[in-house]
Amino acid sequence: MKLKNILMAVVAMTSLMVASGAVQANEHGVALKHAEIDVTDQEQLRRGLTVFTDVCMGCHSAKYITYKGLMDYPELSLSREAVDELRGEHPLTAGLITDLSPEDAKVSYGKVPPDLSVIANARRGGPDYIYSVLTGFEHDPAGKVPDGNFNEYFPGNRIAMPDPLGWLDHDEADTAELEAQAQDVAAFLAFIADPHQNERRIIGCWVLGFLVVLTLVLYLLKKSVWSDVKH
Amino acid sequence: MLEKMMKTRLFAWIDERTGAEAIIKSQLTEYQVPKNLNYMWNFGSLALLVLTLQILTGIFLAMYYKPSAALTYGGYTVAFDSVERIMRDVNFGWLIRYMHAVGASAFFVVVYMHIARGMYYGSYKGPRELLWIIGVVILLIMQGAAFFGYLLPWGQMSFWGATVITNLFGALPVLGEYLQQLLRGGFAVGDPTLNRFFSLHYLFPLLLAAIVGGHIHALHVVHSNNPEGIDVHEGQGTIPFHPYYTIKDAFGVAVFLLFYCYVVFFNPQMGGYFIEVDNYVPANNLQTPAHIAPVWYLTPWYTILRSFESKLLGVLAMGASLAILFLLPFLDRSKVRSSRYRPVYRQMVILFFITVIVLGYCGHSAPTPTLKLVGQIATTYYFAFFLLLPFLPKFEKTKNVPDHI
Ligand code: HEC
Ligand code: HEM
Repeated sequence: MKLKNILMAVVAMTSLMVASGAVQANEHGVALKHAEIDVTDQEQLRRGLTVFTDVCMGCHSAKYITYKGLMDYPELSLSREAVDELRGEHPLTAGLITDLSPEDAKVSYGKVPPDLSVIANARRGGPDYIYSVLTGFEHDPAGKVPDGNFNEYFPGNRIAMPDPLGWLDHDEADTAELEAQAQDVAAFLAFIADPHQNERRIIGCWVLGFLVVLTLVLYLLKKSVWSDVKH
Repeated sequence: MLEKMMKTRLFAWIDERTGAEAIIKSQLTEYQVPKNLNYMWNFGSLALLVLTLQILTGIFLAMYYKPSAALTYGGYTVAFDSVERIMRDVNFGWLIRYMHAVGASAFFVVVYMHIARGMYYGSYKGPRELLWIIGVVILLIMQGAAFFGYLLPWGQMSFWGATVITNLFGALPVLGEYLQQLLRGGFAVGDPTLNRFFSLHYLFPLLLAAIVGGHIHALHVVHSNNPEGIDVHEGQGTIPFHPYYTIKDAFGVAVFLLFYCYVVFFNPQMGGYFIEVDNYVPANNLQTPAHIAPVWYLTPWYTILRSFESKLLGVLAMGASLAILFLLPFLDRSKVRSSRYRPVYRQMVILFFITVIVLGYCGHSAPTPTLKLVGQIATTYYFAFFLLLPFLPKFEKTKNVPDHI
């Protein structure tokens, strides 16, 4: 009877937790595309890094990730040579900072492109949202927003970012390649938003495993201590 | 184990100088507790655990955290940078920060369950009125501590949440403007606000620790209520706290840690409920977020606030909704404590719990006319619950209460 109550409470709490994770509707109700990402996949993360440094860093920074970090995080573990090539004159301890100055960006695009270090946590849907935005450039059905600034997934649909991957009017044959690039960079951004997340999940498994055993032991101990109490 | 320890010479030495043995006996091994407490009685010890965790993790965070709103590269600030530094560069900083952020929500889950237990089983009634009142003080200070803490990462929600809430004080007559500026340290939320909130965020939990001491002392004078809501006497239905309730509380702690660690390690943002998505966007006083809402544990009161057209009325209602908790022991005139023997009160109090959840839901969601109406109805019942209590004994037929467990 008591145990049944505990079990019921456990089931209720668990379903609440699962439900809170599942509620991931986009801000303005458009269903996001699902990005196939794996933040433990070194290949994908490195491909994403390349997209980031080759394309996105023309405008965006990720200042919380340093060149040294690209070597040190086991998920990336770039070689010293690769990092030296990327950083050029920048010191190892510098963050990934764009050469585009905020003032120039404002003049060119009307807005300063946001730093992308924590962007995957800063938008509902995270990597799915990034993937959707990158592959969401369309012609405005109403014909109001100029080509290149209409985005299906961006709130309000009018985005100041010019289609960075060249999604609009791309060749049919390139679809898979562009989608892969968008997913790879989404994976990279999801990783750098919380670079200890893989370590955290691994430690978490051990912690939970230990706690399951501890809970069991304490339950049995409790039963034996209470065995002489009559109800 | 405890008995063995108490037989050592070291213990005898300490005992002579502190009276430790008498304390251990009166507070643990001979402290009498009803034997029929159910698992709802575990939340008190859990609250103590979470408070300890918050203070410990908080002290470590404070070693690296920098309360400054000075701008840095990329639209960030020194404060935001220091939190990210904790997350990235400090050894196990991510663990400490997630434990603290998740711990704040866990604290409220545990304390709300603890309060609900008290309401359901009538634990607020004589002779435990003062115990209940100290509890309400704890609730208010907790809410303050969490509110101050939420400003510290200096994200968009931190900034705008603090702006909205400090604005409320401005609505009060006469002293309002002054209070608002005192809280903010200026005309708008800014660097001085961040500094004083950090100071208060450090102070409030330590105040809490002291008041919790008073709460437990008050408890140990009047002893625990129980699910039957009847008085028990030593030797009749009581058992000593140690070892029975130490082991039961330890088991509760393990179950709690399972949930807590699951969230900390696998879902620390909890889908935006524990750390809101917008709080990863650095604070920007020129850009209001599309939807400002406090963290889930403050949303019921936020709905009460929003249910009134006039800001002043809203603020007063919100204040009243918390203040009325102090009066609960005096509004409830029934002699019977536990809901088990009070059929009408039982329905009312369950509806009250549902109402608070509905209020919380309304406060968390973007406002719509329907939700506003639902919120107003819920607000009405929130107050009606308390105001009906004095009249309840006139028509409630209570069931026969057993005279022992
Ligand atoms: C030519 C400059 C430029 C390039 C290249 C560029 N961006 Fe942007 N990006 C912007 C600007 C400008 C904005 C601000 C958009 C706005 O707020 O309307 C932006 C905004 C964003 C946003 C935030 C959207 C939101 O919800 O606010 C994301 C995510 C983003 N960019 C990702 C990327 C990624 C990933 C790449 C590389 C594949 C990239 N950007 C390349 C200019 C650029
Ligand atoms: C009643 C106990 C406490 C509660 C409910 C509480 C709550 C909070 C909350 C909600 C945050 C924001 C979390 C986030 O989103 O990052 C926070 C941050 C913080 N708290 Fe506490 N706290 C408590 C005790 C303490 C104590 C005792 C200290 C020690 C001085 C402390 C130091 C800090 C620091 C430095 C931060 C900023 C770092 C960060 O944002 O992660 N806290 N607290």
